[in-house]
Amino acid sequence: MARASTLEKLRYRMVPDHLIGEILSKKWIDNAIPFLVLIAVIAVFGSLIPNFFSAGNLEILSRQYGEFALVCLAMMIVIVVGGIDLSVGSNFALGNFLTLALLNIADWPMAAVVPTVILACASVGLVNGVLIGYLRLRAFLTTLVTLIIVRAIVDMLLLEYVQSMSMSFYESPFWDLMGMGGVGSFPFSFMVLIVIAVIGHVLLTRSRPGWRAMAIGGSRKSAHNIGLPVRSTVCATYTISGMLCGMAGILYAARLGGAGSDTGMGLEISALTAAVLGGNSLGGGRGSVVKVLIGAVIVLVMANGVLRLGLNSGSGPMVLGLTLLFAVFVDVRWLKNRDKLLSKVYVSPTLVEMPEPRATTEGALKVNNRLGEVEIIGLGEVESPEDVILDDEDYLYCGTRHGDIVRFAPPDYKTSEIYAHIGGSPLGMTFNKDRDLLVCVGGMGLYKVDRNRQVSKVTDETNRSALSVVDDSRLRLADDLDITPDGRIFFSEATIRYEMHDWPVDALESRGNGRIICFDPKNGKTHTVLRNLTFPNGICTSHDGESILFAESWGCRVSRYWVSGPNAGKVEVLIDRLPGYPDNINRASDGTYWVAIMGMRSPALDVALRMPKFRRRMARRIAPDQWLYPNLNVGCVVRFNDKGEILESLWDRQGENLPMITSMREHKGWLYLGGITNNRIGRVRLTGMSEDWSSVESYWGPLADQGEKS
Amino acid sequence: MIQMIKSRLDQFLGRGQAAVTVPSLDGALKPNNLLEDAPAGIEGDAPDNIVLFKGQPLWSEGSRLFLGRDKTLFSQVESDVTALAVSRTGDLAVALLNGDICLLDDSGLRKKKLDGPVINCVTAMVFADPETLIVAIGSTQNSIADWARDLLEQRTSGQLLALDVISGSSRIIAENLAYPAGLLMKADGSLIMSEAWRCRLSEVDMTNGQVIPVMEDLPAYPGRIAASVDGGYWLALFAPRSPLIEFILREPVYRKAMMEEVDPEFWVAPALKSGYSFHEPMQGGALKQMGILKPWAPTRSYGLVIEVDDRFVPKQSFHSRAGGKRHGATSVLMQDKWLWVTSKGGGETFSIDLGQMLSSRRVNNDSPV
Repeated sequence: MARASTLEKLRYRMVPDHLIGEILSKKWIDNAIPFLVLIAVIAVFGSLIPNFFSAGNLEILSRQYGEFALVCLAMMIVIVVGGIDLSVGSNFALGNFLTLALLNIADWPMAAVVPTVILACASVGLVNGVLIGYLRLRAFLTTLVTLIIVRAIVDMLLLEYVQSMSMSFYESPFWDLMGMGGVGSFPFSFMVLIVIAVIGHVLLTRSRPGWRAMAIGGSRKSAHNIGLPVRSTVCATYTISGMLCGMAGILYAARLGGAGSDTGMGLEISALTAAVLGGNSLGGGRGSVVKVLIGAVIVLVMANGVLRLGLNSGSGPMVLGLTLLFAVFVDVRWLKNRDKLLSKVYVSPTLVEMPEPRATTEGALKVNNRLGEVEIIGLGEVESPEDVILDDEDYLYCGTRHGDIVRFAPPDYKTSEIYAHIGGSPLGMTFNKDRDLLVCVGGMGLYKVDRNRQVSKVTDETNRSALSVVDDSRLRLADDLDITPDGRIFFSEATIRYEMHDWPVDALESRGNGRIICFDPKNGKTHTVLRNLTFPNGICTSHDGESILFAESWGCRVSRYWVSGPNAGKVEVLIDRLPGYPDNINRASDGTYWVAIMGMRSPALDVALRMPKFRRRMARRIAPDQWLYPNLNVGCVVRFNDKGEILESLWDRQGENLPMITSMREHKGWLYLGGITNNRIGRVRLTGMSEDWSSVESYWGPLADQGEKS
Repeated sequence: MIQMIKSRLDQFLGRGQAAVTVPSLDGALKPNNLLEDAPAGIEGDAPDNIVLFKGQPLWSEGSRLFLGRDKTLFSQVESDVTALAVSRTGDLAVALLNGDICLLDDSGLRKKKLDGPVINCVTAMVFADPETLIVAIGSTQNSIADWARDLLEQRTSGQLLALDVISGSSRIIAENLAYPAGLLMKADGSLIMSEAWRCRLSEVDMTNGQVIPVMEDLPAYPGRIAASVDGGYWLALFAPRSPLIEFILREPVYRKAMMEEVDPEFWVAPALKSGYSFHEPMQGGALKQMGILKPWAPTRSYGLVIEVDDRFVPKQSFHSRAGGKRHGATSVLMQDKWLWVTSKGGGETFSIDLGQMLSSRRVNNDSPV
């Protein structure tokens, strides 16, 4: 067999291709383009303008930035719920005027002026909010009207009071601190901004009102239909917007101490540009504080930069306008193509060199048709019985894709009942010492059905690994489990990159995306014990209880992991070079183990596994239904011992009744067989195996009390 | 230069020449189970070419020829038969795997071996006139058993030869053909040829070898052609196209490695039969769900016979779909109201009563034709 070159192998081992897709799937990647623009803008103006990076210039900029970004935040908060606030500029001017008027003319103290001004501006926002939120007026027109009216009021007031205002001059240490001082080298307004930004970020991303605002922006109608208070939330955002404008107005007043008719003129356009440039969607539902902060820096640096470069007077708005156009263009294209790009790059196959498989033409793995004469249980009654298990009274349990646990009654297993409903896709099952049924549920986690049929969650999260990009703390695909004598539950999670029904994509990747997790009932903690396994699937506690055996499906191997004793923590490969893909492992009566082989390797696929680029192109070019899969239309069960020697195999070579066997359980001389793509359970009589051995007793001994079981 | 950039870009984006779309089975080609559900026929060992000989169907199975509904052994020749042809005067020409072309007499004995070159990989033959035999050579580089390799290597080394039966002299009519696999003389004396790898039917000018496509972009690889009694034609398509195989055909590195390392039976390539070994490549949609293989599942083999009218517009089609048995139809023959089909993959020669089907269709008034 030809081999891949060492260089290529090294490349696929060292370069984490899959991270590109994972990073693209993160929400914060929306900020990537604005951030790049930010870097570019700073680089351009930084090199054009002398002393741009000097401490003095930076201080001036950051002082302005504090005010400006607050206005931008005011704009963002209404954009997020799908609105727009054009009145931020005039509201800002109103705040500025009121502050100066109250301090200079009315001689109010600072402590009274600040809240009054904020409330005054908030009331302008409230008017907007009531008109837009409750009376359902159009946001654009309403705020345009408020813009004009408030501007007119400010102009009238200015005409009246500007004379007297310029006569007096308010002075206090705190006022000076606000206007000219700061904390350390940071200006006061900047510190205010930081505090507001942190609060805003937490509110928007981590609180119920924030989520509601996002939801309303995403789809107002849906939000209404699920019962969110749409009107009051919309109204509240305009009010908050007004408050933020008031704050910015106060800071502006403190910095410049003067009011003019051009204060805050055109500020709404700059704020809108900043918000959209940062990546906040004009349609609503997508926005964040960080986006605004980035956008505000870009606009501020550009506006100041154009001024400092001494270009003629029209060029400032011109640059801003063009930037806004560019931002809207990028926003639309990005929103439209982001998912397309993600779906193209997320799948990232890796290089796998499969070893030559063991022969199926001779020896213990020789193909036979011992499962041809299988007895069928529950044909058409169960769908997707991934795992089967029997209890002390010979009842047969299996999961179904409807989220049920179905129970068949002995001795003939002709009648069935729904034992419990969990939801999700119940996969591996096991009984604990108290005969509670523990179930791995794909899409949900680890669940328990007690003897009174009560369903409860055992665990659905584990510790997040330090360097993972995708959030791997939630369990996506808990697959199979077993319990060690000390009560610890070890279970496999087949992949952390895909949901359950996308397992073929994981097969296409064949990377070590899976892990084994341990739940310790003593302290209720869940933690990951083994990572980077290639689709870990079956788990079985060894007969001596010192280790667990686990199957790695796409790796075609079974390994042993010591959980106690002198070797604890060590992993060794027990069986490799399997001709197929191993699934669940369970104990056999004579001290050996059964492993289900869910499908066989096809040589053409083995060649493709060596060619990750080929597989990636295949994933992109043709529909998943057309992809090259492992050949799963065959059924096989293999028995092996603690030394890793294969003892026998049972085949359904044409896959007539039992293609894709995912699990088997030996019980009192019979072998019960389940398959995740099947609509039946099979059982076959075993020869030479114990007639009264049961799996659950081999773990926990006979059941002590025979009481309350229903 | 621009062309090169364009082709590289196409390759990167999967557009243009790199697109892997396959024509859909629609209209008159809408899938049905008529081929699969036809009454049981005559079991055999890979029946291949069927022709009408003295009013009876005659077909080849390996090195033997069988005649009629009761499958009487007509002749046994020294090598596998790859193609048959019957002249207007009743001469039977037989092409053999070893490269010989012979004429047989009415009792099945060899009358004459044609002189001239040893010709391998004869896929089809037809008499232009009683003295001239047109021979289609699928590939001059691969043997007939290696047809899948010929496709994967994207060979266009097929030829059409005109053989003089009497003198044995030969002349190349056309070359650089992509596996010509079926020949037919139209009533007006023009020659129709199916080119499997180009998925088309063409008319060949026998004087200058000019090839004019008459039916293009077929959904499967066309094999032999037979005349219909009402002026149209019957077309046997021996294997289906699929997006995966179209994709593989654009992946030279993988194809080369696969051909070197994998047993030809288990290649990702069209086949005459499939689904009998777990070493075969399986495609996603072919995974059995709830014990059932979907009939529309992607498959490497298929049974398809199409009837076209005299202008090569499809009229009706007969299918054996994924999971079916009567796959790999290599040859068809219309005898009165009977449509004979050899399913090489399914190992069966069977007939469909077209008269009965037509009347039952009128009664049911379903299935638009």
